[in-house]
Amino acid sequence: MRILVVVQRYGAEVVGGAEAHARTLAHRLARRHEVEVATTNALDYWTWAEHFPPGESADDGILVRRFRVRSGRRKDYKAIESRVLLGVHTLVDEYAWLRAQGPHVPDLLEFLHRDGQRYHAIIFYTYIYEPTVLGLPILPERALLVATAHDEAPLRLAPYRALFQLPRAIAFLTPEERDLVHREFRNEHIPSDVVGAPLDPAPRGDGARFRAAHGIEGPIVLYLGQVSEAKGCAELLSLWTARERDATLVLLGHVRMPIPSTPSVRALDAVSDETKWDGLAAADVLVQPSRFESLGLVLLEGWQQGTPALVQAGNPVTAGQVRRSGGGLTYEDAGSFDAGLERLLAEGGARGERARDWVRDEYAPERFDRRIEELVSIAAVSR
Amino acid sequence: MSGLSELSELSELSELSESDGSLLVVVQRYGDVSGGAEAHARQLVDRLAPHLRVEVATTTAADYWTWENVFPAGDAVVGGVPVHRFPVARGRARDFRKRERAAFAPARTLADERAFVDAQGPHSPELLEFIHSRRDDYDTFLFFTYIYEPTVYGVPLTPGRAVLVPTAHDEPAISLSVYRALFHAPRAIAFNTEEERAMVWRRFRNERVPSEVMGVGVELPDGISADRFRHRHGLEGPLFLYVGRIVESKGAGELFDFWARWRDERRAGNGSPQPQATLVVAGHAEMPIPKRDDVRYLGRISDEEKFDAYAACEALVIPSPLESLSLVTLEAWAMGKPIVCPARSRILAGMTHRAGGGLAYHSYAEFAEILGLLLERPEVRDSLGARGRDFVARTYTWPRIVEAYRDLFAEVRARDGK
Repeated sequence: MRILVVVQRYGAEVVGGAEAHARTLAHRLARRHEVEVATTNALDYWTWAEHFPPGESADDGILVRRFRVRSGRRKDYKAIESRVLLGVHTLVDEYAWLRAQGPHVPDLLEFLHRDGQRYHAIIFYTYIYEPTVLGLPILPERALLVATAHDEAPLRLAPYRALFQLPRAIAFLTPEERDLVHREFRNEHIPSDVVGAPLDPAPRGDGARFRAAHGIEGPIVLYLGQVSEAKGCAELLSLWTARERDATLVLLGHVRMPIPSTPSVRALDAVSDETKWDGLAAADVLVQPSRFESLGLVLLEGWQQGTPALVQAGNPVTAGQVRRSGGGLTYEDAGSFDAGLERLLAEGGARGERARDWVRDEYAPERFDRRIEELVSIAAVSR
Repeated sequence: MSGLSELSELSELSELSESDGSLLVVVQRYGDVSGGAEAHARQLVDRLAPHLRVEVATTTAADYWTWENVFPAGDAVVGGVPVHRFPVARGRARDFRKRERAAFAPARTLADERAFVDAQGPHSPELLEFIHSRRDDYDTFLFFTYIYEPTVYGVPLTPGRAVLVPTAHDEPAISLSVYRALFHAPRAIAFNTEEERAMVWRRFRNERVPSEVMGVGVELPDGISADRFRHRHGLEGPLFLYVGRIVESKGAGELFDFWARWRDERRAGNGSPQPQATLVVAGHAEMPIPKRDDVRYLGRISDEEKFDAYAACEALVIPSPLESLSLVTLEAWAMGKPIVCPARSRILAGMTHRAGGGLAYHSYAEFAEILGLLLERPEVRDSLGARGRDFVARTYTWPRIVEAYRDLFAEVRARDGK
């Protein structure tokens, strides 16, 4: 089959969960099919500034077509967004919001209009951006949507109302996402499956090496990912510093906010893959304070190292993963945070071991491939 | 308007909404206006009104060409039904024909297509805003006609409660990308004919969207008289009837050519015993009509006169290559008259074949043969007509159609989880 993957950003250097998922999927599908990618020439999702040269290039045998971003995120986007999400506004404002969000890529839409019928199936990534919300309606009859939907205000805006009724099939990342979309759009009649993500077996991390390298003794509570308010880190730090701790909170990831200077908090900024695995192995508990995770990849990686997790109860996705895997506990306030932490530190490794097996089975690459193949074959036009 | 609030109070009191819920019908023009889809909408609304709370959202336009604002904007009551009229901000663009050519050209862009929809009119942002802001206030939204803005941009505003009556023809516009999502988005589709459904499924691969073949009902007025028609217009001998807009796109030009050729050949054919036949043409003329003693142009005729004309004719000729369900076909059948249509008009020819209520021609030769047959063999003519009448009686009666729509609305509400 000839398959096109449409995604807002693409490439090895692109940071982002949905984008990484798209690239992984493209490469896995390319083992059996002719796969091409249509994307923008942006690298970041905040400005959508042009970065890559427009035109065709190759990514490990996959033909990538990059179309120019004609307008990125508008300077007054925040003001437009708060009016549309919170204030009295019109239908026209909602479409203006979509344009202001960026990336506006008319050439990509024209490409779909002109050449889309050459592909048997087209996989659209991320419901929220223009390439999907305006692109999928051009070719609904061969579309597979990977929505990566969160329970967030834009999901209820007019431009998205029809989108979820259109594709021939939908791939969800988690059961929680499926439940959310079905509840919101009543589109249970569209064939769908929870595909998760393919996780290759992880290398065994070396916890002792990590402790030695960073001079950390005693229990480690690890946060892995971008260190920012949007990811819930401000809340985490305030919970953490509210009392004396015997353990060390280690923050592994790009630091985008002020960090309190106290011995019980160590921020190590971005690290190599090897250090990541070592850190996860060294950790006694992995903490995930974000309320807006669509896959919770970090939890899965933690479980691959047998590390139990303490997650924000307000995030249905990570809370659901913890419930299904038995690999941790949830918290909703300071009391349950402290209690959960204490319990996980006291318990030792059994919970993490159980979750390790669960991840191996649930996120097996072969299983992912099987489910994706099935959805693609439902979406595909055979004529 | 006070009538509106009284009416809505009344309908609440009568507990209609308890059983069948509420319905907003969205259509580009409504009221005392011409047009098949518009007449269909009006007839259906009038017949649904006793069963559920029905309102209509439409524009202030009366004609489909300029979309000029004729009716006052605001709330009105038409036939006892509340109607919300919204102004047309932009009617048909001056360069519409140019836009149309660009949008139908093989090298068209998406931008060309959008420009075509916009240039076609009626652009009524207030109507769309109304649908958007009132989307929770009606259980079901019934959209008429796929091609115009209120439907193209309105259905996506309330897809989960939308039922589309596409009245789709196999015409250039339907192949545009901008219409593709429209046929996948609604909760259900109400087709007029089996043939229309087959055409849409072939084109859009949207079999998954629940659909029904509904059609429109036919009711005959009282006191129909063929003699009154003949007498008023001084018509004698066999008559073939054409009713509808007289334009090239409806096949009128070809009909006039075929007719003249057939009559001229007959006359030249050494004193054929056949009496002089006359082509009776009724409707709004948008092209010249040949001046011949065997072609009579009547202009637009009233509904009552139309039925008199059916009664008086041998057969109804529908030369349009792109008919979906044609109301006049059903009316002629209900009167027991056969249809003559081109075979390339797939929907109409398919229906005619299914009903056994007429004959289709591939060429001028077949056209001439069919007309000759109908004149020379009245028993064939009558048996075709009778089969058409049976078909309409079986399929196109209002009570059956109203029931089918109510069932469909109930399904939509059930799916909505209400």
